[in-house]
Amino acid sequence: MFADEFKALRRLGFRHVLLQVLNFIQVLASGFMMWKGLGLVTNTESPIVVVLSGSMEPAFYRGDLLFLTNPSAKRYATGDITVYKIPGADIPIVHRVLETHDVVSKDYVAASPLAQPQLILTKGDNNPVDDLDLYQGLEWLERRHIIGKVQGFLPYVGYVTIAMNDFPQLKYALLGGLGLLALIQRE
Amino acid sequence: MHTISSRVSNVSAFLSSCIMGLVLAVAVTSALYQMYQTPPAGELAVTNLKVLPGKGRYSRKYGTRQQEFAFVNLNLTADLSPLFHWNTKQLFLYVSAEYTDQQGTVNDVVIWDRIVRRKEDANISSNIHNKYRFKAMSPTFQNVPPAQYTLKYNVMPYIGMLAWGEAARTSEPIPFPEAHQLS
Repeated sequence: MFADEFKALRRLGFRHVLLQVLNFIQVLASGFMMWKGLGLVTNTESPIVVVLSGSMEPAFYRGDLLFLTNPSAKRYATGDITVYKIPGADIPIVHRVLETHDVVSKDYVAASPLAQPQLILTKGDNNPVDDLDLYQGLEWLERRHIIGKVQGFLPYVGYVTIAMNDFPQLKYALLGGLGLLALIQRE
Repeated sequence: MHTISSRVSNVSAFLSSCIMGLVLAVAVTSALYQMYQTPPAGELAVTNLKVLPGKGRYSRKYGTRQQEFAFVNLNLTADLSPLFHWNTKQLFLYVSAEYTDQQGTVNDVVIWDRIVRRKEDANISSNIHNKYRFKAMSPTFQNVPPAQYTLKYNVMPYIGMLAWGEAARTSEPIPFPEAHQLS
């Protein structure tokens, strides 16, 4: 089945194989660099997330892709859609801000107004009640729990990753296929 | 070489770049349209405002406590149909109360929201009351300064950038009345 390909591989020699491996690693590395660079620009740990639940329907469905930013000089406001992760919870949640309380602490003078704590309460558009029960004992959400604010939206595309999580064979088949192609390709 | 596989790969590559171009064009044009659009102006007026004592859930840790709740009736007129363009999937409308209390805390509390999915439903003229519990950070509204009420919207696209804006605001801050005594 792959006899021709193997023959071609042998003809090209060891150096060529090494070069292809190098190319493949370079592709992986530049992808990783782009991801991390985007994270630096948008100031979030994950600038692109996939919607995993239906709590923001009919706006966002499972498998939609969201683009986040987390500008350090701006506070969150009501109506913003935030992605937050409670310590101890395993998946981030995409919900809308329902209440903000910008507290002024009497104990210290902050260097900037943004250094003051902001207490946030969120709610999913499709949920009847707010998220207090999701906070695992926390009373309010704070900025340090929030990964970012949703700025852009791309439907369906993220379903690929959900499918790969549900069927790991698909992931290995895809990775293996790509790796083989990279080795065999002549140019 | 004109093998089947090369034809398939060419056609699919061409199709996917066409789709990407179309998506980009839709996202960019609608974002520009939104940027230069004059924001819609509506009217928002408080028709009734009551404060009643009750028992509120404070937190899971601390349980419930005596807590005053505000009940707001509003009259809302706004024609938001211009916000529906070729890339609007839905509007998320919300009314929030904004006030700075005596401790200096800036509060912004959403008391009502609505999802509008059709242009025909975007011309709104209705009397509304708060959907969500409206309570102050302290257990009472006694020394809470007057609050402004605003109508804001979030335009959610089929694809591309989300946009936010303000459509109406009460003409002046409305003071909280004395709490009714329930006997």
